[in-house]
Amino acid sequence: MTTLPAATPKPGSPGDNERTHLAPKPRRLPPGLWFRHVGWRHLVGVLGLAFALFPAVWVVSASVNPTNSLAAMSFFPDAPTLNNYRDLLFDEPFLVWMRNSLVVAGGAAITMTVLSAMAAYAFSRLRFAGRRVGLLAILLVQMFPQLLAMVALFLFMARIGLVFPGLGTGTLTGLFLVYLGGALGANTWLVKGFFDTIPADLDEAAKIDGATHNQVFWQIILPLSAPILAVTTMLSFVFLFNEYILASILIRDELSFTLAIGLSSFISEQNSQWGVFTAGALLGGIPIILLFLFLQRYIVSGLTAGGVKG
Amino acid sequence: MLNAYLDGRTSLTGIIVKIVFLGIVDALAVFGLFLLADANAWTGFALVAAATIVINWVYLSSRTIPLKYLVPGTIFLLLFQIYPVAYNGYIAFTNYGDGHILSQEAATQRILSVNQRVPEDAERYSTVVLSNGSDEAEAPAESSDIALLLTGEDDVQYLGTFEGLRELEPGEVTGEGQDLRVGDYAPLTLLEANERSAELVGAFTVPLDDGAIQLQTFTVAARTVSDLTYDADAEVIVRDDGTEFTPVEGYWTSDDGETLTPGFRAFIGFDNFAAVLGNEDIRGEFIGVLIWTIVFALMSVITTFILGLGLAMALDDDRVRGKKIYRSLLIIPYALPSFMTALIWRGLLNQDFGFVNQLLGADIPWLTSRAFNGLLPRASTLLVNLWLGFPYMLLVCTGALQAIPGELKEAAKVDGASGFRAFRSVTLPLLLVTVGPLLIASFAFNFNNFNTIFLLTGGDPPIRGAATPVGYTDILISYAYRLAFGGSGGVDYGLAAAVSVFIFMAVAVITTISFRRTRVLEEIN
Repeated sequence: MTTLPAATPKPGSPGDNERTHLAPKPRRLPPGLWFRHVGWRHLVGVLGLAFALFPAVWVVSASVNPTNSLAAMSFFPDAPTLNNYRDLLFDEPFLVWMRNSLVVAGGAAITMTVLSAMAAYAFSRLRFAGRRVGLLAILLVQMFPQLLAMVALFLFMARIGLVFPGLGTGTLTGLFLVYLGGALGANTWLVKGFFDTIPADLDEAAKIDGATHNQVFWQIILPLSAPILAVTTMLSFVFLFNEYILASILIRDELSFTLAIGLSSFISEQNSQWGVFTAGALLGGIPIILLFLFLQRYIVSGLTAGGVKG
Repeated sequence: MLNAYLDGRTSLTGIIVKIVFLGIVDALAVFGLFLLADANAWTGFALVAAATIVINWVYLSSRTIPLKYLVPGTIFLLLFQIYPVAYNGYIAFTNYGDGHILSQEAATQRILSVNQRVPEDAERYSTVVLSNGSDEAEAPAESSDIALLLTGEDDVQYLGTFEGLRELEPGEVTGEGQDLRVGDYAPLTLLEANERSAELVGAFTVPLDDGAIQLQTFTVAARTVSDLTYDADAEVIVRDDGTEFTPVEGYWTSDDGETLTPGFRAFIGFDNFAAVLGNEDIRGEFIGVLIWTIVFALMSVITTFILGLGLAMALDDDRVRGKKIYRSLLIIPYALPSFMTALIWRGLLNQDFGFVNQLLGADIPWLTSRAFNGLLPRASTLLVNLWLGFPYMLLVCTGALQAIPGELKEAAKVDGASGFRAFRSVTLPLLLVTVGPLLIASFAFNFNNFNTIFLLTGGDPPIRGAATPVGYTDILISYAYRLAFGGSGGVDYGLAAAVSVFIFMAVAVITTISFRRTRVLEEIN
């Protein structure tokens, strides 16, 4: 890779100094040299963008096509229409699915963060027998995602449903509870790592002033960790919003579908409603994309410390 | 608790919150215990009771501070992760699946009630077939939406369901014809009855203490007697002709090998594992899927890493204007929920009408070609996964590149290293130190990347002549899903659970490697 000495990126200040570099120096490069040093980078970037964005362009086009079938679609429809959006919002239970997903994924994400923050507090601040073993166990559990036990979870929830009809298969409450099973494995290590960086002097001082362990946790540690808690909640939310396999096993009734199950039900071997589906993908996907772009910086730090998202 | 408050070791709000919380938990627990006792679920009863006692002890004692923080998460962990894993292990040793859904007790009852014959002088009832419109069996348990309104010769009316017979009070039956109602039950139309005749005529049975009532035509049911006798103590079923049936691996079986259906759940030892490893057909399919799973995960990591790193390096130069915009837009495939991505690509890659073929003016069977063991569909899944995954690598590599001190690259250049040499000897090794663990995590994730495979191809195209339902793009997790929940090949929970156990083993190997590599175990303090 060829780099001019003057252009070494300054670590830790990504992009912040773009403006200062508008200074005429790079402009003075003759065209050939400019392409060798800078221009090809734009070329690669534009090619990357084309690869990344052409499906999105198709989605927009398909969603305003007057027909639902791939066969009759044209990329530039003669008569673009918002009919698919109208069908989606008024004829299909899209809003119900969206609400289900937001409630289940959102509720579970928040609860998971609270549960894992509590555990992380115990592991970070308290000393007790079995602490090391507990940490190791959680690390191990994290490696075995719940979906590997899908058969057992399905049969177990079916049995639960026989005794508690409101909690078993087919209920969103049941799905919510199942998701909570992944709480400790998903975030405890990440949050504990952050708690460890909060000086212990702080809670010692609070304790000397008469604070209980409860007050230390809720009123000192948690407020100080707001950024990492926001990131964990957000990552859990995106993960659960995407979760397909357990939801598809446990939920049957159309009005209880999550968005993932609902939207995918538009696409089948026999009769696919591509127009309505792409409209749904746009409406359902854009909020998540905006959330991502908005929190990009925090997410990167969370990702590199934790794991990957699906 | 009182002492703690008087000593100032706890606050008033704390106490109130705690009392309210424990009150709710205990109330729910008692309610649950009633339901469990009512359902005779005594194991569940004992577990819920024990858990409730533990919770109360933990939050009322002042010597259990760590547990106060650990118990809530741990309960969910045990219930919905650890226990299912153990239960999965148990199921792998049973024949649970089509034909073996019921417990031995329920299957026996079913056999006794189904194996009926109609004596010459049988009592007959004129009958109306009813349904309460509830869904088909919600769970693998037995239930039915069907009921029979039976009218005897003496004009006494009965309601017969899959559970048994009940004499109706006068006035419980209202209306006539299609408007007839008995509680929630309404008559099936002739069309509906015809569609379901297989489960009705000669099949739908109302169990009685001695014999049963069975539907003979859509309008007549008859009192039948069983030709089987069950001796619970000796665990044997004797037929009128003297044949004895004993339970063998999930079936009541005679000495001649004749079996009574339905079968029941039974412990069958290592049979499922032996089927995966020993049965030549299934072994071949399983190993094929295993190899493709590894290739898929590995290639996904490699391709996304190369593209992500390439883009990160191209954009890692302050003279490139609009870097931020590039990066923000390039992140979009990653931000889009992956279940949507896979489905969108399914449309894009459609052979006949897909946008990609339109653009190329070609007719390429991206997702359906069986040539060369499904090479093209497999490549397509990798392409889609590349699209989905490269932004993650771009994000990660951008961060890692910026953390590499510029002086190092300078030094390499001063020493006369070419651009590529400097990259290979300085940048890449340093990068891998930071990114290495994430690559392993990414491998582990893609190893079980259900969404991409299942929603893009569903594992298809199917392999012709396969012994189990399996397609060329199936990875282990989608294969297990098909075995358990879908496909035309029937349902085999036992085999699916056994495949899951193998996935567990594979994940354990990956985990071991990753732990060695990251040395995370040594850092625990």
